[in-house]
Amino acid sequence: MSVKVEVIEGGVPHQKIMIAGLVSTLVCLYLTYLNVLTNTEMFSFFGGLAVIAALIWGSHTIKVLCSYGIGTGVPSAGMIAFGSGVMAMLLATKFGVIAGIPAAPIVATILAAVIGFILGYVSNNILNMKIPAMVQALTEMSIVGALTLMGFSALITGGFTFAGLTTSKITVMGMTLLTHQNSFLGGCLIAVAFLLGAIAIQHPFNATLGPGWKQDRMLMLTAECGFLSMLAAAIMSFAFISIGSAVIALVIAVIGWLYTYQQYMVLSKRDAAAWLDSKPIPDVEGH
Amino acid sequence: MSAVAAKPQAGGAINPTAMGVGIVLLLILLALAWYISPGVGFMALIGIVIGGILIGFGTHFVPVGGAPAAMGQAPGIATGVAMLAAGAGLAGLFGGAWAAAAGQDLIVVVVSGGIGGGLMMAITCMMVNFVYVFGMGIPAASGKVAKDPITGDTQAEYKSQGTEGHGLPFVSFVGGVIGGILGGAGGTLIYVELLNLYQATLPAVMQITAAQVMPIAVSVAGMFAVGLFLVNAVLTAYNITGTIEGPHDPKFKRWPRSIVASAVASALCGLVAILIVVL
Repeated sequence: MSVKVEVIEGGVPHQKIMIAGLVSTLVCLYLTYLNVLTNTEMFSFFGGLAVIAALIWGSHTIKVLCSYGIGTGVPSAGMIAFGSGVMAMLLATKFGVIAGIPAAPIVATILAAVIGFILGYVSNNILNMKIPAMVQALTEMSIVGALTLMGFSALITGGFTFAGLTTSKITVMGMTLLTHQNSFLGGCLIAVAFLLGAIAIQHPFNATLGPGWKQDRMLMLTAECGFLSMLAAAIMSFAFISIGSAVIALVIAVIGWLYTYQQYMVLSKRDAAAWLDSKPIPDVEGH
Repeated sequence: MSAVAAKPQAGGAINPTAMGVGIVLLLILLALAWYISPGVGFMALIGIVIGGILIGFGTHFVPVGGAPAAMGQAPGIATGVAMLAAGAGLAGLFGGAWAAAAGQDLIVVVVSGGIGGGLMMAITCMMVNFVYVFGMGIPAASGKVAKDPITGDTQAEYKSQGTEGHGLPFVSFVGGVIGGILGGAGGTLIYVELLNLYQATLPAVMQITAAQVMPIAVSVAGMFAVGLFLVNAVLTAYNITGTIEGPHDPKFKRWPRSIVASAVASALCGLVAILIVVL
């Protein structure tokens, strides 16, 4: 269907969210290279912030796409975003330093854009969807999927090189051994990261859509979902990075989640027709 | 034009130019794979494309009802195409991966994957009908055909007014099982091709032994298989635009578009998966 069912009334235009999302995600991903420069793992939490920036951008893209009533449900958009993004992300991890600059995030962006563009062409023209926003939306979502997974891998393991994601060190009785089984890819933690991201990206619009849709409320819910995913990923990161670094990420995730949850409740009360604080089981008084 | 007056434009029509572009794109991607890795990589990509086509074609058989089915106003299983296809495909993938780990050959592995997917859909369809008949109290009736093509039972007497049918008629059940078999087999084929490719090439790329590479090969091949499965399932969902009753539904005739789309998408994503070990 090519008629837009809902229109964006007020709020920040999508173009602005897209540019802000892309730039802040890439900046956060590059900030994780501070780990390499300072030879610590303290800056892994920037990966989590990259995840949240990418998710906020992605959930607004889903809103733009799904406003056309594609008839397949909102979650399918999140699934295709990560299905195509994981390919670009894994190939991009193979690219190290090009011309003196670490290239993986840029390569992931370009590769995901190419994959998303072709998938957009396929669905819009071959499958005859004829939705004006389709090609751009699938391109954006593929980039979001790739960068989100990259952010998760930085948060959990401290970096996103292919060698770093496939190896880890374990200490057995004072000896340091190189292992492949306990790594981000070898232990298939990427599957957990995949669904943590996919659920966080598709849930906000699915939960807030309808006549009372408000942009700030949806984006606040996205941030809340993002911080919740970051919390789970930060707990997983204890297995890979030093305890101090993992605690920093965990504390940031907890504080961010509490703040965004509280803000989301405020916005929900603002948009609700009426608000009644009730108890789960009403007290029955003297009868 | 208001939203109410809008007619769905994504009809059954085939866009010949786009189909041509799609086939040319497919040939270009295959040629690229041939150029960068003429032996093992190219054969793996052929397997991936066949697997993707199986998923895309198989998903058309699955009776998808969506939200109307949850309210008993349309036949089918009450969820979206992507979720159902992913469920059947992943169940099949587990079956196939188990057979692959036991060292079986390709045919056995792919057939076990198909059985896993078909079994999952058979159980789902049966339990859905249990809930419909005994929980919601509605009979199974198709709204798209007058008679069930397999059993010959008439449908109109059981169909409530104002609905498109409800429950899961026999033909939809059979369609669901066929769809699960095709989807599970396709997903497993993708997984096995990638697993064999990674097992053969990753030790040399990463300078480690074959035993050490095993967890990475399994994990990456599985992740790519899941990713490819989701891409193919969502593209098919876009082709069906929402709900389908099964092989007797008029929307089933749209499958040629889906085959081309799945082939292009699988070739593209498969090429990326192969590049990981070639670059």
